Amino acid sequence: MSVSGADRTRKLLTVGVGTVLIVVMGAVLIAGFRLATQMNANVAALQTASMLQTYPAALAQHLTSLRDRLEARAYAGQALADLRTTVESFDRDLKRLASGPAEGPMQIDQAMMLWRQYAPVLEPVLAFNGQPYIDTDEAGSVLSKEGLEHYADVKRAHLFARENADRLQGMLAAVATGLQQQASAQANRLRLLLSAGVIAALVLAVAAAYFQITRASHERAAREAQEQTRDILRTVKEGFFLLDAQYRIGSVWSDALTRLFGRQNFAGLPFEELLKDLVPASTLATAMKYIKLLWGDRAHENLMKSINPLGQLEVQVDNGRGGRETRYLQFDFHRVMGPKGVKHVLVSVSDITSNVLLARELQESQENASNQLDMVLGVLHVDPVQLSTFLDATEAGLQLINAILKEPARTDAEFRKKLDGLFRELHSIKGEASALNLMSIATRVHALEDAVSELKKRAELSGNDFLPLVLKLDELMAHIKTVRELGTRLATLRESALPARGASQGGGVDPNEEISRTLHSLADRLAAEHHKRFKLAINGLSEMPAAYRATIKDVLIQMLRNAAVHGIEPAEVRRASAKDDIGNVRVDFRRVSDGYELVFEDDGVGLSPEQLKAAAVRRGLITSDEAAEMDTRAAMALIFRPGFSTKDDVSMDAGRGVGMDVVARSIYALGGRIGVSTQPGRYTRFKIALPATEEHASTAVA
Amino acid sequence: MTTANGTASAAGTKRSFKLLIVDDSNIMRRRIERSQQFDELEVVGSASNGLEALELFKKTDPDLVTMDITMPHMDGIECIQRLVELKPEVRILVISALADKATAVDAMEKGANGFLHKPFTDRQLNEAIAELIRGL
Repeated sequence: MSVSGADRTRKLLTVGVGTVLIVVMGAVLIAGFRLATQMNANVAALQTASMLQTYPAALAQHLTSLRDRLEARAYAGQALADLRTTVESFDRDLKRLASGPAEGPMQIDQAMMLWRQYAPVLEPVLAFNGQPYIDTDEAGSVLSKEGLEHYADVKRAHLFARENADRLQGMLAAVATGLQQQASAQANRLRLLLSAGVIAALVLAVAAAYFQITRASHERAAREAQEQTRDILRTVKEGFFLLDAQYRIGSVWSDALTRLFGRQNFAGLPFEELLKDLVPASTLATAMKYIKLLWGDRAHENLMKSINPLGQLEVQVDNGRGGRETRYLQFDFHRVMGPKGVKHVLVSVSDITSNVLLARELQESQENASNQLDMVLGVLHVDPVQLSTFLDATEAGLQLINAILKEPARTDAEFRKKLDGLFRELHSIKGEASALNLMSIATRVHALEDAVSELKKRAELSGNDFLPLVLKLDELMAHIKTVRELGTRLATLRESALPARGASQGGGVDPNEEISRTLHSLADRLAAEHHKRFKLAINGLSEMPAAYRATIKDVLIQMLRNAAVHGIEPAEVRRASAKDDIGNVRVDFRRVSDGYELVFEDDGVGLSPEQLKAAAVRRGLITSDEAAEMDTRAAMALIFRPGFSTKDDVSMDAGRGVGMDVVARSIYALGGRIGVSTQPGRYTRFKIALPATEEHASTAVA
Repeated sequence: MTTANGTASAAGTKRSFKLLIVDDSNIMRRRIERSQQFDELEVVGSASNGLEALELFKKTDPDLVTMDITMPHMDGIECIQRLVELKPEVRILVISALADKATAVDAMEKGANGFLHKPFTDRQLNEAIAELIRGL
């Protein structure tokens, strides 16, 4: 800003001084030229004047010569001719002198006047054209009558010429002197003028040199500044650029930006374009709104900094080896103020991946510490019998997972099948752990699930990809062992402290009663975690034969989770649709003529065939054409398909795309059927029919 | 706390401003009312949802509003928009537990003037209110 102002002033000054000097030089040259012309005329006039001074004497001389010739009766023709020539020359030169330079000396007029007086005297002499002599025998040559008159004229003219010669010559000398003075005055003026010209030229040269030097130094300074800017931009680790009011990147950016975004040219690139391929659309929209706010004046810098949505941006970038890797970028925005408000926004981008990872590690280690405590607390709250049942089942499950891992697999499809098996086993362990509030185990299993999900997303699978899973699984098994030891020690402690109570609980806990308790505690936990309010009513579970117990427990846990996460609405939503604030979940188990019937019902939001179809299309289970042709019944059946889930985010309790398909498969495995009916906004009801068991048959007989 | 008090009295303007508190938790409403330490602030009402806030706003014509985001019957974002439509010069401080920056950006875009994250200290609350009063 200030540099360009000084630049403009300097330019104006250069043009001004240059113009003045050129005008001065021009004036000097024109005046000099005119003076020189005048002097030239003066010199010619001076020459004429000097020459004219000789004429009065010459005139008198010619007249003397003519008179003498006439007296000697000698040939007078030549003398008369000379006289004529002289008079003509004099008359011509004098007139030229008089009419010459405008400022001729005034003596010239006096000389002219005197010369005019010569005319009447000289005229008869010059006009003579006859024979001056007559030759006679007696007297020889004598003057003729004409000759006498001529002679008289000559004598008179001679007299006049002799009398006036000095005066005329004096006048002409004065003219010459005058001219001389004029010439010397002009010469002085010319000298002066030339000096002025020389001085002006010198000033011009000095000024030109000065401007040349200052310009060179300015240019050098500008070049140095440019080089320094370039060095800064090349060296800084952050990506720097300016955004203009159209949210476009300016023409200068730091080299780090090239490395961060793997792109060469940023000039004029819209900010939106820079982020488009790196972040989800919603983040992009927020970022653009934020940038717009930066141009307003409502929020000050600190507030804007605190709501910066790009403070820690997760992006997927090319890792240079053909793969993608996750980096964390931090964008900072600073307003650059101009006279009319925000002029630019300076954006700095830094790669904070290592900071983020470090912070995460720290957090993980802190969480681990608090997890230890949670574990102890969790184990304390679980009934020892329940705990050992769970641990047995879990260990069996983990053995199964180990077996799955050891299964040889060669093709990609086989690997994928392996993953699906792993996933189901893990999911059911997680469900049980959550139900018992053993969060230390649930969290670990969840992490394993995450790892499996991650593998499922890979384009290609190989045996090596499973190695990290094996390690994690080992860790989980070690943890289960720790929990078991802790449980045993706590049980011993409890028994020694409360021998009576320990004894009464040790023996006869009804396993069906235990399922009931598990479900109630899971319901409480789910309600608290998902901010839902609902009552769980369980009827007839004591009728359940032992053969179905394990499966039905899993099934009920899964359905209860679905009901709490997807089914029951938040209290305010329920109120808005004229329902009681508190939801209802009902489990009815009863004998029927050909076996058993289990009804699971919640009075929540119900299932919408359209939403189910849309979710299935989104997950690629069916095409949109297929969806369009599906009737309500077929749409409802979608929830039993593998990989179906309507919740997009993944939490501990739902949303992994595993659930009802597992339920359906377990029911089929028992030889049963499952069906669903719903009324959107009112309820969802699952009806499960199970065949009679031997136990049932025998009791029926009895 | 003393800082906030100091700035407020140093400003010397003994004009009084009307404050409306909007939050669906009454604990939070009381907390805000008790923790603010400005003599020139008069709490003219507190609302537990967006609709109620709108009603009270029309009745009491406040200069300042503290606004929760997650509320039943019209959330904070929509409420901000309505309030700004009613009175463009109103200053709104969003006080929300929502951690995502998108909510903050949305609120600012709709016309909020400040953002305070729950949980907050008394000092943070007073500084945020002082910042808003400065803009009045």
